[in-house]
Amino acid sequence: MEVPILKQGDFLIASILGALTDTALTRLQENLVHAVRKHRSKGVVIDVTVLDVMDSFAARTLRSITVMTRLLGAKVVIVGIQPEIAFSMVQLGLRLEGTLTGLDLEDGIALLKAADTKDGARNHGR
Amino acid sequence: MSLPPTHFPEKFLTLAEMMNISEQELERRKQFLQFGPEDEERLRKLAPVAENYAEAMIESFYEHVLSFSELKAFFPDAALLARVKARQKDYFLRLTQGNYDLDYAEQRLKIGAIHERIDLPIKYYLSMYNFYLREVWRYIFEIDPEHPDESMATFFSLMKLTFLDISLAIDTYIDARERTIKALQQEAIQELSTPVLPFREGMLLLPIIGQIDSQRARQLTEHLLVAIRAYRAKVIVIDITGVATVDSRVANHLVQTVDAARLMGAKVVISGISPEIALTMVTLGIDLGPVDTVGDLRTGIEHANRLQGYRVVKIAEPDEDEHRENA
Repeated sequence: MEVPILKQGDFLIASILGALTDTALTRLQENLVHAVRKHRSKGVVIDVTVLDVMDSFAARTLRSITVMTRLLGAKVVIVGIQPEIAFSMVQLGLRLEGTLTGLDLEDGIALLKAADTKDGARNHGR
Repeated sequence: MSLPPTHFPEKFLTLAEMMNISEQELERRKQFLQFGPEDEERLRKLAPVAENYAEAMIESFYEHVLSFSELKAFFPDAALLARVKARQKDYFLRLTQGNYDLDYAEQRLKIGAIHERIDLPIKYYLSMYNFYLREVWRYIFEIDPEHPDESMATFFSLMKLTFLDISLAIDTYIDARERTIKALQQEAIQELSTPVLPFREGMLLLPIIGQIDSQRARQLTEHLLVAIRAYRAKVIVIDITGVATVDSRVANHLVQTVDAARLMGAKVVISGISPEIALTMVTLGIDLGPVDTVGDLRTGIEHANRLQGYRVVKIAEPDEDEHRENA
């Protein structure tokens, strides 16, 4: 299943709509990186609310998306991890170190905006 | 979120093992009762006589029992009564068969446990021994009326053994009660001890009191994660002032809880680490990693406020009059 990537101002929103195969995840990774480049986006929200499984491949892909987009100057927020998934993820040692996480889409956009303002202030001060 | 309960292999233990009744313990009990080999010998000699009187005695015993309405309720039908009588007979005959070892104790404990399980009050249970001793006295005396001394000795041997049985029976009752109380306590502690308190918008307070084992840590994390979702919490203060010891396992549980909360976009501050705990943790080389820790709850809440971008400012001196009125 293809993951739609929506543009919302300076940010991109990738909303996962159902269980993803490994191929679909890899394609999401490629599409996102290209979309960030194309739209010169400052941040990406990946919404995983509907996912009821998070395996090590998915966790790794999400982490590499974070690293890749950071190289392009954008931030990634993963939102909507369910309580059960969060619990089983830590049990499996999948901690998504170094990525931002948010409660839901709204929270994720707020986080990106806050980070953007902070960056702006810092740059301005320089 | 439903997770499988933790199973304890209790059912693989014998009752005696569960109640810490070992070979030595049984021996000690016999010593207290002054029950020796000569008693065993006398009782074994009684076996053929017991075979004769058992039936008649059990009949008269149940006649007595059934004359009490509150006891009648335990025997709703004739089939059950017949089965119980047969068991009772085995029980009496076993008294005169020698080998009063751990197997004997186990069997006695089992019988006690069954009576406890059907909620037979111990007063009725004990009255059975009383009835038995009084009845049996007659039969023993009749064996050899010429030598009342010998009959007396046999009777005392039987009495000692009966008291051994009584001690075991009472232990099963006490043990069962203790187990129930412990289970209820555990339940109460589990229910009471993991409140997730909404402290301010977007902020939760989670005071932990008592021991943290893996089952509790799991439950606690579950509660917390569900609450994060429900209250849309961004900052959580976990206060461990009431946790007596922090070893590497507890620390590991805490780190997992913090990580899980972070996956849901919430930041955790752990407060209430006492100097003693800090010392032990460093001595044992326990590392909480990147978790934010502060000394007391007050600092924890202040830290959480800061993370949320709040600053608490005193705006006026407390009104003296209002204070007095409220007092």
